[in-house]
Amino acid sequence: MAVIENNVGAYPVSPHANRGGLKAGQNRIGLLLLLPAAVAFAAVILYPFLSALGLSLFEYTVEMMEPRFIGFENFYKIASDPDVWAAFWTTAIYVVLTTTGTLVAGLGWALIMNQQFAGRAVLRSLSLLPWVLPSTVSAFIWGWIFNSRYGVLNALLMELGLIDYPQAWLSTPEGAMLAVVLTKIWLSIPLFMSFFLAGLQNLDKEQIDAARVDGAGNWAVLRDHILPHLRPVLMIVVVLGVIGNLQQFDTIYALTGGGPVRATTVLSVEVYRRAFEQWDIGFASAVGVLWVAALLPPAFLYLRMLVKGN
Amino acid sequence: MFDLSSRQAKIVFFAALAVIGFFLFFPLYWLVISSLKANAELYRVVPTPFPTMPSLEHFIRALTAGKLPMYLMNSLITSTCSAALVTLLALYAGFSFAKYRYFGRQPVMLFMLSAQMFPFGLLLISIYPLMSELNLLDTRPGLILSYIVFALPVSTYMLYSYFTQVPDELIDAARADGASDLRIFHTIVIPISIPPIVTVFLYSFMWSWNDLLYSMTLIVSDEKRTIGPGLLLTYLNEVNSDWGGAMAASLIASAPIVAAFMFLQRYFIQGVTAGAVK
Repeated sequence: MAVIENNVGAYPVSPHANRGGLKAGQNRIGLLLLLPAAVAFAAVILYPFLSALGLSLFEYTVEMMEPRFIGFENFYKIASDPDVWAAFWTTAIYVVLTTTGTLVAGLGWALIMNQQFAGRAVLRSLSLLPWVLPSTVSAFIWGWIFNSRYGVLNALLMELGLIDYPQAWLSTPEGAMLAVVLTKIWLSIPLFMSFFLAGLQNLDKEQIDAARVDGAGNWAVLRDHILPHLRPVLMIVVVLGVIGNLQQFDTIYALTGGGPVRATTVLSVEVYRRAFEQWDIGFASAVGVLWVAALLPPAFLYLRMLVKGN
Repeated sequence: MFDLSSRQAKIVFFAALAVIGFFLFFPLYWLVISSLKANAELYRVVPTPFPTMPSLEHFIRALTAGKLPMYLMNSLITSTCSAALVTLLALYAGFSFAKYRYFGRQPVMLFMLSAQMFPFGLLLISIYPLMSELNLLDTRPGLILSYIVFALPVSTYMLYSYFTQVPDELIDAARADGASDLRIFHTIVIPISIPPIVTVFLYSFMWSWNDLLYSMTLIVSDEKRTIGPGLLLTYLNEVNSDWGGAMAASLIASAPIVAAFMFLQRYFIQGVTAGAVK
Protein backbone atom coordinates (compact mmCIF):
# COMPACT_ATOMS: atom_id res chain seq x y z
CA MET A 1 0.00 0.00 0.00
CA ALA A 2 2.64 2.47 -1.03
CA VAL A 3 0.00 4.98 -2.09
CA ILE A 4 -1.44 5.23 1.39
CA GLU A 5 1.93 5.67 3.04
CA ASN A 6 2.93 8.44 0.65
CA ASN A 7 -0.26 10.28 1.35
CA VAL A 8 0.24 10.00 5.09
CA GLY A 9 3.63 11.61 4.69
CA ALA A 10 2.10 14.48 2.75
CA TYR A 11 -0.37 15.42 5.47
CA PRO A 12 1.04 16.39 8.87
CA VAL A 13 -1.18 14.85 11.55
CA SER A 14 -2.52 17.52 13.87
CA PRO A 15 -2.34 16.68 17.58
CA HIS A 16 -6.02 17.63 17.82
CA ALA A 17 -7.11 15.19 15.15
CA ASN A 18 -9.19 12.39 16.59
CA ARG A 19 -8.75 8.76 15.68
CA GLY A 20 -11.45 6.85 13.89
CA GLY A 21 -13.88 9.75 13.98
CA LEU A 22 -15.55 9.81 17.37
CA LYS A 23 -17.22 13.21 17.22
CA ALA A 24 -20.99 13.16 17.20
CA GLY A 25 -21.12 15.30 14.06
CA GLN A 26 -18.90 12.90 12.18
CA ASN A 27 -20.98 9.94 13.24
CA ARG A 28 -24.02 11.66 11.84
CA ILE A 29 -22.19 11.76 8.50
CA GLY A 30 -21.48 8.06 8.92
CA LEU A 31 -25.18 7.33 9.31
CA LEU A 32 -25.91 9.52 6.31
CA LEU A 33 -23.47 7.50 4.18
CA LEU A 34 -25.19 4.31 5.26
CA LEU A 35 -28.63 5.63 4.45
CA PRO A 36 -28.90 4.81 0.71
CA ALA A 37 -27.80 1.21 1.19
CA ALA A 38 -30.04 0.88 4.25
CA VAL A 39 -33.06 2.08 2.29
CA ALA A 40 -32.33 -0.26 -0.62
CA PHE A 41 -31.75 -3.09 1.80
CA ALA A 42 -35.01 -2.45 3.61
CA ALA A 43 -36.97 -2.22 0.37
CA VAL A 44 -35.78 -5.25 -1.59
CA ILE A 45 -34.44 -7.57 1.10
CA LEU A 46 -35.84 -6.89 4.56
CA TYR A 47 -39.39 -5.96 3.63
CA PRO A 48 -39.85 -8.91 1.23
CA PHE A 49 -38.37 -11.23 3.83
CA LEU A 50 -40.70 -10.10 6.62
CA SER A 51 -43.62 -9.97 4.24
CA ALA A 52 -42.98 -13.57 3.17
CA LEU A 53 -42.79 -14.62 6.82
CA GLY A 54 -46.11 -12.89 7.39
CA LEU A 55 -47.76 -14.39 4.31
CA SER A 56 -47.09 -17.86 5.68
CA LEU A 57 -49.98 -17.18 8.09
CA PHE A 58 -52.39 -16.27 5.29
CA GLU A 59 -54.35 -18.07 2.67
CA TYR A 60 -53.46 -16.33 -0.57
CA THR A 61 -54.06 -18.01 -3.90
CA VAL A 62 -54.51 -16.82 -7.44
CA GLU A 63 -58.34 -16.65 -7.17
CA MET A 64 -58.25 -14.36 -4.13
CA MET A 65 -58.15 -10.56 -4.24
CA GLU A 66 -56.95 -10.18 -0.66
CA PRO A 67 -54.98 -12.55 1.58
CA ARG A 68 -57.04 -14.10 4.38
CA PHE A 69 -55.54 -14.74 7.81
CA ILE A 70 -55.64 -18.42 8.73
CA GLY A 71 -53.03 -18.71 11.51
CA PHE A 72 -50.92 -21.82 11.32
CA GLU A 73 -53.23 -23.57 8.87
CA ASN A 74 -50.53 -23.67 6.15
CA PHE A 75 -48.13 -25.38 8.51
CA TYR A 76 -50.75 -28.00 9.43
CA LYS A 77 -51.23 -28.61 5.72
CA ILE A 78 -47.47 -28.98 5.27
CA ALA A 79 -47.28 -31.46 8.14
CA SER A 80 -49.65 -33.78 6.28
CA ASP A 81 -48.28 -33.11 2.80
CA PRO A 82 -45.96 -35.92 1.72
CA ASP A 83 -44.68 -33.84 -1.22
CA VAL A 84 -43.20 -31.19 1.06
CA TRP A 85 -41.63 -33.82 3.29
CA ALA A 86 -40.16 -35.42 0.20
CA ALA A 87 -38.72 -32.04 -0.82
CA PHE A 88 -37.02 -31.72 2.57
CA TRP A 89 -35.58 -35.19 2.23
CA THR A 90 -34.41 -34.54 -1.33
CA THR A 91 -32.81 -31.28 -0.21
CA ALA A 92 -30.97 -33.06 2.60
CA ILE A 93 -29.58 -35.67 0.19
CA TYR A 94 -28.63 -32.99 -2.33
CA VAL A 95 -26.89 -30.78 0.26
CA VAL A 96 -24.96 -33.64 1.85
CA LEU A 97 -23.79 -35.07 -1.49
CA THR A 98 -22.83 -31.74 -3.05
CA THR A 99 -21.09 -30.38 0.04
CA THR A 100 -19.10 -33.55 0.70
CA GLY A 101 -18.23 -34.00 -2.95
CA THR A 102 -17.05 -30.43 -3.38
CA LEU A 103 -15.11 -30.55 -0.15
CA VAL A 104 -13.14 -33.62 -1.18
CA ALA A 105 -12.55 -32.52 -4.77
CA GLY A 106 -11.94 -28.87 -3.88
CA LEU A 107 -9.44 -29.70 -1.13
CA GLY A 108 -7.71 -32.26 -3.34
CA TRP A 109 -7.49 -29.82 -6.21
CA ALA A 110 -6.19 -27.02 -3.95
CA LEU A 111 -3.44 -29.29 -2.62
CA ILE A 112 -2.49 -30.24 -6.17
CA MET A 113 -2.53 -26.60 -7.29
CA ASN A 114 -0.33 -25.70 -4.31
CA GLN A 115 2.44 -27.95 -5.60
CA GLN A 116 5.10 -26.57 -7.93
CA PHE A 117 4.95 -28.02 -11.44
CA ALA A 118 5.09 -26.81 -15.02
CA GLY A 119 1.81 -25.37 -16.25
CA ARG A 120 0.35 -24.92 -12.79
CA ALA A 121 -0.49 -21.24 -13.18
CA VAL A 122 -2.46 -21.86 -16.37
CA LEU A 123 -4.33 -24.81 -14.85
CA ARG A 124 -5.16 -22.75 -11.78
CA SER A 125 -6.67 -19.96 -13.85
CA LEU A 126 -8.60 -22.32 -16.07
CA SER A 127 -10.03 -24.23 -13.13
CA LEU A 128 -11.88 -21.09 -12.05
CA LEU A 129 -14.00 -21.15 -15.20
CA PRO A 130 -16.96 -23.29 -14.00
CA TRP A 131 -17.54 -20.70 -11.29
CA VAL A 132 -18.22 -17.80 -13.66
CA LEU A 133 -20.33 -19.51 -16.30
CA PRO A 134 -24.04 -18.56 -16.35
CA SER A 135 -26.11 -21.23 -14.61
CA THR A 136 -28.08 -21.98 -17.76
CA VAL A 137 -24.81 -22.67 -19.55
CA SER A 138 -23.68 -25.13 -16.86
CA ALA A 139 -27.02 -26.87 -17.11
CA PHE A 140 -26.66 -27.09 -20.90
CA ILE A 141 -23.17 -28.58 -20.63
CA TRP A 142 -24.20 -31.30 -18.20
CA GLY A 143 -27.54 -31.91 -19.89
CA TRP A 144 -25.67 -32.61 -23.12
CA ILE A 145 -23.16 -34.90 -21.37
CA PHE A 146 -26.01 -36.84 -19.73
CA ASN A 147 -28.15 -36.89 -22.90
CA SER A 148 -29.72 -40.32 -23.32
CA ARG A 149 -29.17 -40.70 -27.07
CA TYR A 150 -26.09 -38.71 -27.97
CA GLY A 151 -24.53 -38.06 -24.58
CA VAL A 152 -20.81 -38.63 -24.17
CA LEU A 153 -21.32 -40.23 -20.75
CA ASN A 154 -23.17 -43.19 -22.24
CA ALA A 155 -20.55 -43.51 -24.98
CA LEU A 156 -17.69 -43.45 -22.45
CA LEU A 157 -19.27 -45.96 -20.10
CA MET A 158 -20.09 -48.31 -22.96
CA GLU A 159 -16.56 -48.01 -24.28
CA LEU A 160 -15.27 -48.97 -20.83
CA GLY A 161 -17.72 -51.88 -20.71
CA LEU A 162 -19.47 -50.57 -17.58
CA ILE A 163 -22.91 -50.50 -19.22
CA ASP A 164 -24.30 -52.60 -22.08
CA TYR A 165 -26.72 -50.11 -23.62
CA PRO A 166 -27.36 -46.34 -23.32
CA GLN A 167 -29.06 -45.22 -20.12
CA ALA A 168 -31.75 -42.53 -19.98
CA TRP A 169 -30.02 -40.85 -17.04
CA LEU A 170 -32.27 -37.84 -16.62
CA SER A 171 -35.41 -39.98 -16.75
CA THR A 172 -34.51 -42.03 -13.69
CA PRO A 173 -34.62 -40.61 -10.13
CA GLU A 174 -31.04 -41.71 -9.33
CA GLY A 175 -29.62 -40.59 -12.67
CA ALA A 176 -31.24 -37.17 -12.43
CA MET A 177 -29.98 -36.71 -8.88
CA LEU A 178 -26.50 -37.73 -9.97
CA ALA A 179 -26.61 -35.16 -12.78
CA VAL A 180 -27.72 -32.23 -10.61
CA VAL A 181 -25.23 -33.16 -7.87
CA LEU A 182 -22.28 -33.47 -10.26
CA THR A 183 -23.21 -30.17 -11.88
CA LYS A 184 -23.20 -28.39 -8.53
CA ILE A 185 -19.94 -30.00 -7.40
CA TRP A 186 -18.33 -28.98 -10.68
CA LEU A 187 -19.58 -25.41 -10.22
CA SER A 188 -18.36 -25.09 -6.64
CA ILE A 189 -14.87 -26.59 -6.87
CA PRO A 190 -13.30 -23.25 -7.92
CA LEU A 191 -14.70 -21.36 -4.94
CA PHE A 192 -13.66 -24.06 -2.48
CA MET A 193 -10.24 -24.28 -4.10
CA SER A 194 -9.75 -20.51 -3.80
CA PHE A 195 -10.51 -20.57 -0.09
CA PHE A 196 -8.18 -23.50 0.54
CA LEU A 197 -5.37 -21.97 -1.52
CA ALA A 198 -5.69 -18.72 0.42
CA GLY A 199 -5.48 -20.75 3.62
CA LEU A 200 -2.44 -22.67 2.41
CA GLN A 201 -0.54 -19.44 1.68
CA ASN A 202 0.37 -18.79 5.28
CA LEU A 203 1.26 -22.36 6.14
CA ASP A 204 4.51 -22.55 8.11
CA LYS A 205 6.90 -24.18 5.64
CA GLU A 206 9.78 -24.40 8.13
CA GLN A 207 7.66 -26.46 10.44
CA ILE A 208 7.01 -28.91 7.61
CA ASP A 209 10.69 -29.01 6.67
CA ALA A 210 11.53 -29.75 10.29
CA ALA A 211 8.98 -32.57 10.35
CA ARG A 212 10.50 -33.97 7.16
CA VAL A 213 13.95 -33.99 8.76
CA ASP A 214 12.39 -35.99 11.59
CA GLY A 215 11.30 -38.53 9.00
CA ALA A 216 7.67 -37.56 8.39
CA GLY A 217 6.28 -38.76 5.05
CA ASN A 218 3.73 -37.05 2.81
CA TRP A 219 0.81 -38.61 4.59
CA ALA A 220 2.07 -37.57 8.02
CA VAL A 221 2.67 -34.01 6.81
CA LEU A 222 -0.86 -33.84 5.44
CA ARG A 223 -2.45 -35.31 8.57
CA ASP A 224 -0.39 -33.55 11.24
CA HIS A 225 0.35 -30.19 9.66
CA ILE A 226 -1.67 -29.27 6.58
CA LEU A 227 -5.14 -30.42 7.64
CA PRO A 228 -4.96 -28.99 11.20
CA HIS A 229 -3.76 -25.70 9.71
CA LEU A 230 -6.72 -25.64 7.28
CA ARG A 231 -9.31 -26.38 9.95
CA PRO A 232 -10.68 -22.82 10.29
CA VAL A 233 -10.91 -22.44 6.50
CA LEU A 234 -12.54 -25.84 6.30
CA MET A 235 -15.25 -24.73 8.72
CA ILE A 236 -15.99 -21.57 6.72
CA VAL A 237 -16.05 -23.48 3.46
CA VAL A 238 -18.40 -26.15 4.77
CA VAL A 239 -20.80 -23.59 6.19
CA LEU A 240 -20.75 -21.45 3.04
CA GLY A 241 -21.15 -24.60 0.96
CA VAL A 242 -24.17 -25.78 2.94
CA ILE A 243 -25.80 -22.35 2.71
CA GLY A 244 -25.20 -22.18 -1.06
CA ASN A 245 -26.35 -25.72 -1.72
CA LEU A 246 -29.51 -25.30 0.38
CA GLN A 247 -30.38 -22.37 -1.89
CA GLN A 248 -29.45 -23.83 -5.26
CA PHE A 249 -32.19 -23.40 -7.84
CA ASP A 250 -31.02 -22.38 -11.32
CA THR A 251 -29.02 -25.40 -12.42
CA ILE A 252 -31.54 -27.88 -11.03
CA TYR A 253 -34.48 -26.12 -12.64
CA ALA A 254 -32.72 -25.82 -16.00
CA LEU A 255 -31.39 -29.38 -15.98
CA THR A 256 -34.30 -31.45 -14.69
CA GLY A 257 -37.07 -29.01 -13.78
CA GLY A 258 -37.24 -30.87 -10.46
CA GLY A 259 -38.06 -34.15 -12.18
CA PRO A 260 -38.44 -36.86 -13.24
CA VAL A 261 -41.76 -36.55 -11.38
CA ARG A 262 -40.36 -35.03 -8.16
CA ALA A 263 -37.01 -36.81 -7.84
CA THR A 264 -34.92 -33.60 -7.83
CA THR A 265 -37.52 -31.25 -6.37
CA VAL A 266 -35.50 -29.59 -3.63
CA LEU A 267 -37.01 -26.86 -1.44
CA SER A 268 -36.08 -24.03 -3.80
CA VAL A 269 -37.89 -25.73 -6.69
CA GLU A 270 -40.83 -26.65 -4.46
CA VAL A 271 -41.28 -23.04 -3.29
CA TYR A 272 -40.95 -21.76 -6.85
CA ARG A 273 -43.56 -24.18 -8.17
CA ARG A 274 -46.05 -23.52 -5.39
CA ALA A 275 -45.64 -19.77 -5.74
CA PHE A 276 -45.26 -19.20 -9.46
CA GLU A 277 -46.85 -22.22 -11.09
CA GLN A 278 -49.73 -22.93 -8.73
CA TRP A 279 -49.90 -19.35 -7.36
CA ASP A 280 -50.49 -20.62 -3.84
CA ILE A 281 -48.50 -17.77 -2.26
CA GLY A 282 -49.44 -18.47 1.35
CA PHE A 283 -48.49 -22.11 1.23
CA ALA A 284 -45.25 -21.34 -0.66
CA SER A 285 -44.32 -18.79 1.99
CA ALA A 286 -44.93 -21.33 4.75
CA VAL A 287 -42.63 -23.83 3.04
CA GLY A 288 -40.15 -20.96 2.65
CA VAL A 289 -40.27 -20.24 6.37
CA LEU A 290 -39.28 -23.83 7.13
CA TRP A 291 -36.57 -23.49 4.51
CA VAL A 292 -35.20 -20.45 6.37
CA ALA A 293 -35.34 -22.47 9.57
CA ALA A 294 -33.10 -25.06 7.90
CA LEU A 295 -30.69 -22.27 6.93
CA LEU A 296 -30.49 -20.77 10.41
CA PRO A 297 -27.96 -23.14 12.04
CA PRO A 298 -25.32 -22.80 9.30
CA ALA A 299 -26.03 -19.07 9.03
CA PHE A 300 -25.52 -18.67 12.77
CA LEU A 301 -22.23 -20.57 12.63
CA TYR A 302 -21.03 -18.44 9.74
CA LEU A 303 -21.80 -15.16 11.48
CA ARG A 304 -20.15 -16.33 14.67
CA MET A 305 -16.99 -17.17 12.74
CA LEU A 306 -17.02 -13.74 11.08
CA VAL A 307 -17.42 -11.96 14.41
CA LYS A 308 -14.58 -13.99 15.88
CA GLY A 309 -12.45 -13.25 12.83
CA ASN A 310 -12.90 -9.54 13.41
CA MET B 1 4.48 -29.07 0.06
CA PHE B 2 4.53 -32.75 -0.83
CA ASP B 3 7.72 -34.61 -1.57
CA LEU B 4 7.27 -36.20 -4.99
CA SER B 5 10.70 -37.76 -5.33
CA SER B 6 9.44 -41.28 -4.73
CA ARG B 7 7.75 -43.18 -7.54
CA GLN B 8 4.74 -44.02 -5.43
CA ALA B 9 4.13 -40.41 -4.40
CA LYS B 10 4.38 -39.33 -8.03
CA ILE B 11 1.79 -41.90 -9.12
CA VAL B 12 -0.71 -40.89 -6.42
CA PHE B 13 -0.22 -37.18 -7.12
CA PHE B 14 -0.62 -37.37 -10.88
CA ALA B 15 -3.50 -39.85 -10.65
CA ALA B 16 -5.40 -37.37 -8.45
CA LEU B 17 -4.46 -34.56 -10.82
CA ALA B 18 -5.77 -36.57 -13.77
CA VAL B 19 -9.07 -37.56 -12.13
CA ILE B 20 -10.07 -34.16 -10.74
CA GLY B 21 -8.62 -32.38 -13.77
CA PHE B 22 -10.67 -34.55 -16.10
CA PHE B 23 -13.83 -33.83 -14.13
CA LEU B 24 -13.15 -30.07 -14.18
CA PHE B 25 -11.98 -29.64 -17.76
CA PHE B 26 -13.64 -32.32 -19.82
CA PRO B 27 -17.09 -30.63 -19.69
CA LEU B 28 -15.50 -27.38 -20.89
CA TYR B 29 -13.67 -29.19 -23.66
CA TRP B 30 -16.88 -30.96 -24.65
CA LEU B 31 -18.76 -27.65 -24.73
CA VAL B 32 -16.23 -26.16 -27.13
CA ILE B 33 -15.89 -29.08 -29.51
CA SER B 34 -19.64 -29.79 -29.57
CA SER B 35 -20.27 -26.21 -30.63
CA LEU B 36 -17.91 -26.73 -33.57
CA LYS B 37 -19.54 -29.90 -34.90
CA ALA B 38 -22.08 -29.73 -37.68
CA ASN B 39 -25.36 -31.48 -36.88
CA ALA B 40 -24.51 -34.55 -38.95
CA GLU B 41 -21.50 -35.16 -36.75
CA LEU B 42 -23.04 -33.92 -33.50
CA TYR B 43 -25.94 -36.38 -33.39
CA ARG B 44 -24.05 -39.64 -33.40
CA VAL B 45 -24.43 -42.38 -30.84
CA VAL B 46 -20.66 -42.83 -30.77
CA PRO B 47 -19.37 -39.25 -30.63
CA THR B 48 -16.12 -38.20 -32.28
CA PRO B 49 -13.53 -36.96 -29.76
CA PHE B 50 -12.92 -33.82 -31.82
CA PRO B 51 -14.69 -32.30 -34.81
CA THR B 52 -13.53 -33.95 -38.04
CA MET B 53 -15.06 -31.10 -40.04
CA PRO B 54 -15.05 -28.02 -37.78
CA SER B 55 -17.93 -25.77 -38.65
CA LEU B 56 -19.04 -22.37 -37.41
CA GLU B 57 -22.64 -22.86 -38.54
CA HIS B 58 -24.03 -22.91 -34.98
CA PHE B 59 -22.27 -19.66 -34.11
CA ILE B 60 -23.40 -17.95 -37.28
CA ARG B 61 -26.98 -19.09 -36.79
CA ALA B 62 -26.97 -18.07 -33.10
CA LEU B 63 -25.77 -14.60 -33.95
CA THR B 64 -27.90 -13.98 -37.02
CA ALA B 65 -31.06 -16.08 -36.97
CA GLY B 66 -32.14 -16.07 -33.34
CA LYS B 67 -32.77 -13.51 -30.65
CA LEU B 68 -29.49 -14.14 -28.85
CA PRO B 69 -28.04 -10.67 -29.65
CA MET B 70 -31.15 -9.09 -28.16
CA TYR B 71 -30.94 -11.21 -25.00
CA LEU B 72 -27.25 -10.36 -24.71
CA MET B 73 -27.98 -6.66 -25.00
CA ASN B 74 -30.73 -6.93 -22.36
CA SER B 75 -28.38 -8.75 -20.01
CA LEU B 76 -25.68 -6.19 -20.63
CA ILE B 77 -28.03 -3.32 -19.76
CA THR B 78 -29.57 -4.84 -16.64
CA SER B 79 -26.30 -6.30 -15.33
CA THR B 80 -24.31 -3.09 -15.84
CA CYS B 81 -26.96 -0.93 -14.22
CA SER B 82 -27.48 -3.21 -11.24
CA ALA B 83 -23.73 -3.69 -10.74
CA ALA B 84 -23.21 0.08 -10.81
CA LEU B 85 -26.06 0.58 -8.36
CA VAL B 86 -24.83 -2.11 -5.96
CA THR B 87 -21.25 -0.81 -6.11
CA LEU B 88 -22.38 2.73 -5.35
CA LEU B 89 -24.56 1.69 -2.40
CA ALA B 90 -21.90 -0.68 -1.04
CA LEU B 91 -19.17 1.98 -1.32
CA TYR B 92 -20.82 4.42 1.05
CA ALA B 93 -22.18 1.75 3.37
CA GLY B 94 -18.82 -0.03 3.56
CA PHE B 95 -17.01 3.21 4.34
CA SER B 96 -19.59 4.11 6.95
CA PHE B 97 -19.21 0.73 8.71
CA ALA B 98 -15.42 0.88 8.56
CA LYS B 99 -14.68 4.43 9.66
CA TYR B 100 -17.49 5.62 11.92
CA ARG B 101 -18.51 4.51 15.38
CA TYR B 102 -22.21 5.05 15.91
CA PHE B 103 -24.74 3.25 18.01
CA GLY B 104 -25.86 -0.06 16.53
CA ARG B 105 -23.15 -0.20 13.89
CA GLN B 106 -21.98 -3.78 14.50
CA PRO B 107 -25.46 -5.36 14.80
CA VAL B 108 -26.73 -3.54 11.71
CA MET B 109 -23.73 -4.69 9.73
CA LEU B 110 -24.07 -8.29 10.85
CA PHE B 111 -27.75 -8.23 10.11
CA MET B 112 -27.16 -6.93 6.60
CA LEU B 113 -24.55 -9.58 6.03
CA SER B 114 -26.76 -12.36 7.36
CA ALA B 115 -29.34 -11.34 4.77
CA GLN B 116 -27.10 -13.08 2.27
CA MET B 117 -28.65 -16.23 3.68
CA PHE B 118 -32.29 -15.28 3.14
CA PRO B 119 -33.27 -17.63 0.32
CA PHE B 120 -33.55 -15.69 -2.95
CA GLY B 121 -36.54 -17.80 -3.90
CA LEU B 122 -38.42 -16.84 -0.76
CA LEU B 123 -37.69 -13.12 -1.23
CA LEU B 124 -39.02 -13.39 -4.76
CA ILE B 125 -42.45 -14.38 -3.44
CA SER B 126 -42.82 -10.90 -1.98
CA ILE B 127 -40.72 -9.02 -4.50
CA TYR B 128 -43.16 -10.10 -7.20
CA PRO B 129 -46.24 -8.41 -5.67
CA LEU B 130 -44.08 -5.45 -4.63
CA MET B 131 -42.93 -4.87 -8.21
CA SER B 132 -46.46 -5.41 -9.41
CA GLU B 133 -47.74 -2.69 -7.04
CA LEU B 134 -45.03 -0.28 -8.18
CA ASN B 135 -45.87 -1.05 -11.82
CA LEU B 136 -42.32 -2.34 -12.24
CA LEU B 137 -43.24 -5.87 -13.19
CA ASP B 138 -41.87 -6.81 -16.61
CA THR B 139 -39.65 -3.69 -16.70
CA ARG B 140 -35.89 -3.34 -16.70
CA PRO B 141 -35.80 -1.00 -13.65
CA GLY B 142 -37.79 -3.61 -11.71
CA LEU B 143 -35.30 -6.34 -12.54
CA ILE B 144 -32.32 -4.05 -11.85
CA LEU B 145 -33.68 -3.14 -8.41
CA SER B 146 -34.41 -6.79 -7.62
CA TYR B 147 -30.85 -7.76 -8.49
CA ILE B 148 -29.65 -5.73 -5.49
CA VAL B 149 -30.72 -8.75 -3.45
CA PHE B 150 -27.95 -10.96 -4.79
CA ALA B 151 -24.86 -8.91 -4.20
CA LEU B 152 -25.45 -5.96 -1.85
CA PRO B 153 -24.67 -7.76 1.44
CA VAL B 154 -21.41 -9.39 0.32
CA SER B 155 -20.32 -6.32 -1.67
CA THR B 156 -20.76 -4.13 1.38
CA TYR B 157 -18.73 -6.54 3.45
CA MET B 158 -15.93 -6.76 0.86
CA LEU B 159 -15.58 -2.98 0.72
CA TYR B 160 -15.90 -2.71 4.50
CA SER B 161 -12.99 -5.10 5.04
CA TYR B 162 -10.92 -3.14 2.55
CA PHE B 163 -11.72 0.25 4.11
CA THR B 164 -10.77 -0.95 7.60
CA GLN B 165 -7.22 -1.23 6.24
CA VAL B 166 -7.14 2.41 5.15
CA PRO B 167 -5.26 4.12 8.02
CA ASP B 168 -7.30 6.49 10.17
CA GLU B 169 -4.35 8.90 10.16
CA LEU B 170 -4.91 9.51 6.48
CA ILE B 171 -8.49 10.62 7.09
CA ASP B 172 -7.70 12.53 10.25
CA ALA B 173 -4.91 14.44 8.56
CA ALA B 174 -7.25 15.56 5.80
CA ARG B 175 -9.87 16.50 8.38
CA ALA B 176 -7.32 18.58 10.20
CA ASP B 177 -6.78 20.41 6.93
CA GLY B 178 -10.47 21.22 6.90
CA ALA B 179 -11.67 18.82 4.22
CA SER B 180 -15.22 17.53 4.62
CA ASP B 181 -15.77 13.80 5.13
CA LEU B 182 -17.47 13.38 1.76
CA ARG B 183 -14.63 15.20 0.04
CA ILE B 184 -12.06 13.05 1.83
CA PHE B 185 -13.91 9.95 0.74
CA HIS B 186 -14.21 11.05 -2.88
CA THR B 187 -10.77 12.52 -3.42
CA ILE B 188 -8.55 10.42 -1.15
CA VAL B 189 -10.17 7.11 -0.29
CA ILE B 190 -11.88 6.18 -3.56
CA PRO B 191 -8.78 6.75 -5.75
CA ILE B 192 -6.75 4.27 -3.66
CA SER B 193 -9.62 1.74 -3.68
CA ILE B 194 -9.97 1.04 -7.38
CA PRO B 195 -9.09 -2.70 -7.21
CA PRO B 196 -11.75 -3.57 -4.59
CA ILE B 197 -14.28 -1.36 -6.35
CA VAL B 198 -13.69 -3.16 -9.63
CA THR B 199 -13.95 -6.49 -7.79
CA VAL B 200 -17.28 -5.60 -6.26
CA PHE B 201 -18.59 -4.34 -9.59
CA LEU B 202 -17.57 -7.57 -11.29
CA TYR B 203 -18.96 -9.67 -8.45
CA SER B 204 -22.41 -8.12 -8.66
CA PHE B 205 -22.29 -8.05 -12.46
CA MET B 206 -21.63 -11.79 -12.41
CA TRP B 207 -24.63 -12.50 -10.20
CA SER B 208 -26.97 -10.59 -12.49
CA TRP B 209 -25.48 -11.94 -15.71
CA ASN B 210 -25.78 -15.52 -14.47
CA ASP B 211 -29.27 -15.24 -13.01
CA LEU B 212 -32.12 -17.41 -14.19
CA LEU B 213 -34.75 -17.37 -11.42
CA TYR B 214 -35.46 -13.65 -11.07
CA SER B 215 -35.36 -12.88 -14.74
CA MET B 216 -37.66 -15.71 -15.73
CA THR B 217 -40.18 -14.69 -13.07
CA LEU B 218 -40.12 -10.90 -13.21
CA ILE B 219 -39.78 -10.50 -16.99
CA VAL B 220 -42.57 -11.70 -19.24
CA SER B 221 -42.06 -9.99 -22.57
CA ASP B 222 -39.48 -11.39 -24.93
CA GLU B 223 -37.91 -8.07 -25.86
CA LYS B 224 -36.71 -7.51 -22.27
CA ARG B 225 -35.63 -11.08 -21.56
CA THR B 226 -32.04 -11.71 -20.42
CA ILE B 227 -29.76 -14.54 -21.53
CA GLY B 228 -30.48 -16.99 -18.66
CA PRO B 229 -34.13 -17.67 -19.50
CA GLY B 230 -33.51 -16.61 -23.11
CA LEU B 231 -31.11 -19.48 -23.70
CA LEU B 232 -33.38 -21.95 -21.97
CA LEU B 233 -36.47 -20.96 -23.95
CA THR B 234 -34.67 -20.82 -27.29
CA TYR B 235 -32.69 -24.02 -27.24
CA LEU B 236 -34.34 -26.50 -24.92
CA ASN B 237 -38.07 -26.13 -25.19
CA GLU B 238 -40.88 -28.65 -25.38
CA VAL B 239 -40.75 -29.07 -29.15
CA ASN B 240 -37.08 -29.24 -30.02
CA SER B 241 -33.62 -29.43 -28.56
CA ASP B 242 -30.94 -27.74 -30.61
CA TRP B 243 -27.83 -28.87 -28.77
CA GLY B 244 -25.32 -27.50 -31.26
CA GLY B 245 -27.01 -24.11 -31.09
CA ALA B 246 -27.18 -24.36 -27.30
CA MET B 247 -23.42 -25.00 -27.07
CA ALA B 248 -22.50 -22.15 -29.43
CA ALA B 249 -24.89 -19.72 -27.73
CA SER B 250 -23.51 -20.79 -24.35
CA LEU B 251 -20.00 -19.90 -25.42
CA ILE B 252 -21.13 -16.55 -26.77
CA ALA B 253 -23.07 -15.77 -23.58
CA SER B 254 -20.13 -16.77 -21.39
CA ALA B 255 -17.46 -14.88 -23.31
CA PRO B 256 -17.90 -11.41 -21.75
CA ILE B 257 -17.96 -12.60 -18.17
CA VAL B 258 -15.08 -15.04 -18.69
CA ALA B 259 -12.94 -12.35 -20.32
CA ALA B 260 -13.57 -9.87 -17.51
CA PHE B 261 -12.93 -12.50 -14.90
CA MET B 262 -9.68 -13.77 -16.37
CA PHE B 263 -8.41 -10.23 -16.51
CA LEU B 264 -9.28 -9.42 -12.90
CA GLN B 265 -9.19 -12.79 -11.18
CA ARG B 266 -6.43 -11.94 -8.72
CA TYR B 267 -8.36 -9.05 -7.15
CA PHE B 268 -11.54 -11.00 -7.38
CA ILE B 269 -10.34 -13.98 -5.37
CA GLN B 270 -8.73 -11.75 -2.74
CA GLY B 271 -12.03 -9.90 -2.36
CA VAL B 272 -14.23 -12.96 -2.10
CA THR B 273 -12.03 -14.86 0.34
CA ALA B 274 -11.28 -11.73 2.41
CA GLY B 275 -12.31 -12.01 6.01
CA ALA B 276 -12.54 -15.78 5.88
CA VAL B 277 -8.79 -16.33 5.81
CA LYS B 278 -6.44 -14.57 8.14
